Amino acid sequence: MRRARWTALAALLLAGCANVAPYQRGYLAREAMALDPNPGMARALEKTYSAKEAASGGASVGGGGCGCN
Amino acid sequence: MKAALALPILVAPARAAAEGNEIGFNVLGYKERGLMKVTEPVLWARGTVDEAWDVEGSAAVDIITGASPRLVSNATGTPVATVSGASISDRRNTADVKVTRHFGDFALGASRTVSDEKDYDSKAFGIQGQWDLNRKNTTLAAGYGKSNDRVGSTDNPDLHAPRYTQEYMVGITQVVTPVDLVQSTLSWGRGDGYYDDPYKFTVSFYPDGTLAAAGDTRPDHRDTVSWLTRYRRYFPESNAALQADYRYYHDDWGITAHTIEVGWQQSFGDRWEVRPGLRYYTQHQADFYFPVIPRPQPAILSSDQRLGTWGGLSPTIRVVLHLDNAWRIEGTLGYVQNSASFHWGGSGSPAFETLRAVYGVLGISRPF
Repeated sequence: MRRARWTALAALLLAGCANVAPYQRGYLAREAMALDPNPGMARALEKTYSAKEAASGGASVGGGGCGCN
Repeated sequence: MKAALALPILVAPARAAAEGNEIGFNVLGYKERGLMKVTEPVLWARGTVDEAWDVEGSAAVDIITGASPRLVSNATGTPVATVSGASISDRRNTADVKVTRHFGDFALGASRTVSDEKDYDSKAFGIQGQWDLNRKNTTLAAGYGKSNDRVGSTDNPDLHAPRYTQEYMVGITQVVTPVDLVQSTLSWGRGDGYYDDPYKFTVSFYPDGTLAAAGDTRPDHRDTVSWLTRYRRYFPESNAALQADYRYYHDDWGITAHTIEVGWQQSFGDRWEVRPGLRYYTQHQADFYFPVIPRPQPAILSSDQRLGTWGGLSPTIRVVLHLDNAWRIEGTLGYVQNSASFHWGGSGSPAFETLRAVYGVLGISRPF
């Protein structure tokens, strides 16, 4: 019953989103809309912050650790 | 080697934009006031082969110099961190590669990451599946990662302690309208092994004239969960994009953290882009964070202020220049201030010493 409820909720959420055709995605394709426009820079900044904070991770797995004293 | 740092390798669907072959080089410079200095050159590339294979990878070297807090003592009345007298010098080499194979609306990726430094070695791999549906308006992703690390110490040549981590993630990226999209990723993991910091100590003086000393001792496992949601919205009339990220983090050490980052990327013609941003971070301390050793002395305790209660603010400014020959030059300047008073919901750990740092990243890239 609970699973059916979650499935219905997910379907409702997806249905509520506009069905954007490929030709309508010009703005979405812009670099400013990218979630990770420069992987090297994102990696460097992620490490810089994580070395000083207790929290880390989020969008990825399989990265490994470092000695950040 | 304390902060178990997850370097992003298997990233959930990164962009709705068309992909292409690209190579880049960045140099990061980071300097704390009175403490560490880090220089990190990074070479990275990504590309598509035969339209069915994506390959990406990077190689980096961290050159670390300076000093690090080693001892927390209340000899002066209040607990303060003392920086080691000797200058620290270390070098960390790291490389990663990721290969993704596309099968119509499905994609399957595998990654490998290795790093080594004087007192820490890490080997990790990951796999990730990805499924485009709803005419590619929706992308579902799931991943698994495992790392096998070895912790050492330049103070103790006999220390070679293992640490194993397994991580899982599920994520969804949804195109909402022609001008906005959202991605939400839930990841969780379990780590087992050596988490102590062999370089950190606590010395406490008590009113009755006695004292106690303890090394840094932490639990031999760590369960973590983080939930990252990223939102992008384009404003055609302004030729700009709003970028907003929020991450919730919690672990069984008792730490709960929130990270919010908001940026506004403004285009000026076809060449220039400027992105002012602000990042806010706040965390609640670990259950075993004690800047003064309690009595009776607990079996696990740490005075490492990174496990305390505090918050941080970091304003940034990024400038991107697109040249006619497709070269892309990018520079970022950032300031970091971590302080007990920045903790959300009240003052943080009194023993937390404010950290001030500046960093800059210069990057150049181009398609090929």
